[in-house]
Amino acid sequence: MQYKDYYKIMGLSRDASKDEIKRAYRKLARKYHPDVSKEKDAEAKFKELGEAYEVLKDPEKRAAYDQLGAHWKAGQDFRPPPNWNEGFEFRGGGFTSGDAGAFSDFFEQLFGRAGFHAADREQFGFHARGQDSHAKIYIDLEDSFHGATRNISLSTPEMNAQGQVQVKHRSLNIKIPKGIKAGQHIRLAGQGSPGAGSGQSGDLFLEIAFNNHPLYRVLETDVYLDLPVTPWEAALGTKIKVPTPEGNVDLKIPPNSRQGSKLRLTGRGLPARVPGDFYVVLQIALPPANTEKAKAVYQKMHEELDFNPRQALGVYHQ
Amino acid sequence: MNSHDLLLVHTGTVIEEDSLTLAQLCRACGVHADWIISLVEESIIEPQGEDIRLWRFSGASLVRARSALRLQRDLGVNLAGIALALDLIEELESLRAHMKTLGHV
Repeated sequence: MQYKDYYKIMGLSRDASKDEIKRAYRKLARKYHPDVSKEKDAEAKFKELGEAYEVLKDPEKRAAYDQLGAHWKAGQDFRPPPNWNEGFEFRGGGFTSGDAGAFSDFFEQLFGRAGFHAADREQFGFHARGQDSHAKIYIDLEDSFHGATRNISLSTPEMNAQGQVQVKHRSLNIKIPKGIKAGQHIRLAGQGSPGAGSGQSGDLFLEIAFNNHPLYRVLETDVYLDLPVTPWEAALGTKIKVPTPEGNVDLKIPPNSRQGSKLRLTGRGLPARVPGDFYVVLQIALPPANTEKAKAVYQKMHEELDFNPRQALGVYHQ
Repeated sequence: MNSHDLLLVHTGTVIEEDSLTLAQLCRACGVHADWIISLVEESIIEPQGEDIRLWRFSGASLVRARSALRLQRDLGVNLAGIALALDLIEELESLRAHMKTLGHV
C-alpha cells in the first residue's frame, strides 16, 4: 500500500489552518471538477482531492493522520504502525461524506471502510428499489449508421453483506440502435444496482459518445468530411468519388468552388428520427513547385492571370 | 458469468427528447421531486408539457440534472450559479465541437 501525502495533494504545508484548507479545497475542486475541467486525469485528481479534504477538514482524522509523522513520502510503501489510531474516535464509522467507493486503500486502512448498514436494513425487512446506475460508452460512428451489438464492460461499486463497498466488474452485450447520436441515452431496465430486500433492481442509463473517426467529424446528426481537391478541380468543376459511411458516392464539384466551401448531401448524415446531412468541406491542395515543369506552369499563371488576393488590403502588384 | 449471459443481448430503450417522467428523472438522479422542481423553476432544465403531471424530460435534461447535483454537492454552488456554470460549459462545448468541424483540433 502506498502512502498518500494529503498536504501535498492540496498544495498545503503541514501547519495549514482550517480556513486555508477550505480555501485550497474550493480552488482545486473548481479546477478539477469533472463537469468543468477538461484536464485528462481530472476525475482521478478530483477523487484524490476529495479524499485529502475528507481527512484534513476533520480535526480528528487530521490529528490521526499527522500522528503518522512527516517523514513519509508520497508513493512510499506504507503500513500503519500498530495501535497508531488508539484514542481517536472517527464519527460515522469512517466515511462521513463523499463517494464511498472512491477512496483509496490507504484511506480505508487508516479510517476503515464505509459504515453503510445495508445488511441491518435487510434484517428488519427493509425493501427498496435499487439505485439507477449511469455509464458513458464510446461507439464507432459506423455503429450508429448500421446499428450494432457491442460488448461493454462496467465496473460498479456494490455493497456486500457486511456493508463493505466492493467494485464489481461485469460485461453486457448491448444493442446499439441505428441512428443514435452522441449525448443520447439508452435505458436498460433492471440493470442498475440491485434492490434491498425484495425491492426491484434499478435501471442502467448508458450515455452514448463517439470514438474519434479518422475521416469524419460529427456535429449532432450532421457528418463532415474534409475533401482535398486540386486547384483545377475546384476552379473548373468536376465529378469526384467521395467516401461516406454508407459507401462511396459521386459528388459534383461546381466550377469556381472556393477553399472551405461546404457541399451538402441532404439526408446522408446520421440516420436519426430526423436524418442529418453529410457535408463535404473542400480543402484546396496546392501542387508543389518542385520540378521545372511545375515551376513553368506557375510562372505561366503569374504571367497570364490578373489575380490579386490582397485587393481588399489596398495592396497592389509590384 | 455463465454462457447464457455471454450470448444474451440487451435491447434498451432510447431516451428521446420527451421520454422521461418526473418520477423517472428523480430515480435516475437519486433525488427528491422537490429538487428537480427547483431546477425547473431556475430553468436549469426545461420539461415539455405545461402541467407537472405531464412533464417530460429529455436525455439532455438528465445530463444537466446530474451535473447540477455534482456541482452542488462537490463545490457548494447554488442554483443560480449552477444555471450560469452549465450554460457556460455548454457554450464552451458547442464552440469546441464547432472548432472540430472546422478541423482546428
